[in-house]
Amino acid sequence: MRRGAAFASLLDEALSGLWRARRVTVVSVFQISFSLFLVGLFLLAAENLGGVVDTLREETAVTLFLRPGADEASRAALESRALESKLVAAIRRVSPEEARGRFARSFGSLAGAAGTLSGNPFPASVELDLLPGAISSAALRPFLANLAAHPAVEEVQFDVDWIRRLRGVVRLVAAAGLATGVLLALGAAFTIANVVRLTILLHRDEIDILRLVGAPEVLIRGPFLLGGVLQGFLGGLVALGLLAVAFRGLLFFVVSTENVLLGVFVVRFLSPATCGVLVLGGVLAGLFGGTIASRRGHV
Amino acid sequence: MIEFYGVSKEYHGRRVLKNLSFKVAQGEFVFLTGPSGAGKTTVLKLLYRAEGPGEGQILVNGRNVGAMPPGRVPELRRTMGIVFQDYKLLPSRNVFENVSFVLKFLGVPLAERRRRAYQVLRLVELHHRVNALPEELSGGEQQRVALARALVNEPELLVADEPTGNLDHRLAQEVMRLFSQINVRGTTVLVATHDVNLIRETGRRCLTLDRGGVLEGLVEAALPPQAAWRREGGIKLPPRDEDAR
Repeated sequence: MRRGAAFASLLDEALSGLWRARRVTVVSVFQISFSLFLVGLFLLAAENLGGVVDTLREETAVTLFLRPGADEASRAALESRALESKLVAAIRRVSPEEARGRFARSFGSLAGAAGTLSGNPFPASVELDLLPGAISSAALRPFLANLAAHPAVEEVQFDVDWIRRLRGVVRLVAAAGLATGVLLALGAAFTIANVVRLTILLHRDEIDILRLVGAPEVLIRGPFLLGGVLQGFLGGLVALGLLAVAFRGLLFFVVSTENVLLGVFVVRFLSPATCGVLVLGGVLAGLFGGTIASRRGHV
Repeated sequence: MIEFYGVSKEYHGRRVLKNLSFKVAQGEFVFLTGPSGAGKTTVLKLLYRAEGPGEGQILVNGRNVGAMPPGRVPELRRTMGIVFQDYKLLPSRNVFENVSFVLKFLGVPLAERRRRAYQVLRLVELHHRVNALPEELSGGEQQRVALARALVNEPELLVADEPTGNLDHRLAQEVMRLFSQINVRGTTVLVATHDVNLIRETGRRCLTLDRGGVLEGLVEAALPPQAAWRREGGIKLPPRDEDAR
């Protein structure tokens, strides 16, 4: 048999089988989609927590507020000390005018008040962008103490402990999400396996007849395998739809309650790539479940 | 085409076939007859490898069926048209699907499947019931669907187990005429039946299995105990009804 015709027959048989057992198919697709929906929730949380981590990464800049009148030589010595630490990726100088401009942009309503002051209350500063991994380096704390002791530095702004704790929490949540996701995906696969097995039991007589009249094994077992894959695919699509509805609902809730904290976390829906991964997860779960159920011993 | 050499078969210690040997040549039309329990169905099952022989050798088209690896069995069955005693129709598929799905295995396009299924359903006078499910058909109609399914693939070998058991006499004769037409085209036909009149009317070679549950060997010229069979011109024919009386 030509491959194209064989696949068309396989697909036709799989679709016909799903249609004939449409009630079971609908229940199965919703079971799969519920499992994938939960997986998707974790992916949604993980992606948005990832956004928070990115923000934190941007925030891993150490700000050194300089004493008024700190001269160029002491600034240069400070920067040189920072670079020698091998913890700093980049150094940025911020003038008092620039600092006032940032304040005005960040706090528009207070900008006028700042403008009424006789002088510029914002000190000059030096911002140090830390290298990736510097946060967890044992040398960071002595380095910060060393900078704080520099005569040109009035204050060092950087709460390393808080950031470390937060990153730890984010890592824990991401790991828990991943583990739960894997468990739920396995659950989805076994759901599919059971549904496929149930379908096989319902069609036991037909399978025997197909064998007696010489149906190739691929056309006997293939439709069940393909049926599992199709159910996984449909389950993935339905799960995406449910996630989109849930996300919209959450957004509506955030906007209506004007909850700033939630607004920080709920920022975006799953990326197209993650959506693809979710549907692919459904397909793989279907393939896995279909393979388990349609092994020769079962069919 | 079909060769049995010293074939024996037991079921749960009860010997059904014992040292059975016979041949059916390519293009022959042969009846297999004998009383209930004589092993007619077993012989057919051995042919399409629904059962493996206990002893002996079975050749179909030169291929040793008993020694055939399981992966090759579907291919063997696809060269045959098989009419089962209990029809074995797919209950959830309509008449057209039941008849045409064999062609689907072979990659026959849908339009061609429709054409051939319609033709063969016309032959068995069921072309007006293509959308009916098996449960909506009478026993005779179901049997004709099973016949149509066996014929649709124009098989090299047609094997039928009591193919006219549920048909009235006119339809039974029509089925036999169909088998003859298929046979004329070169298909070997082996029909298991206990319908003596049918065999007589058809005038074909007949192989008889002994009564008694145990096959002691095939005796082509043997007379069945309950009726006087007779040989005419090398072809064994059962007696006409008036002769039996």
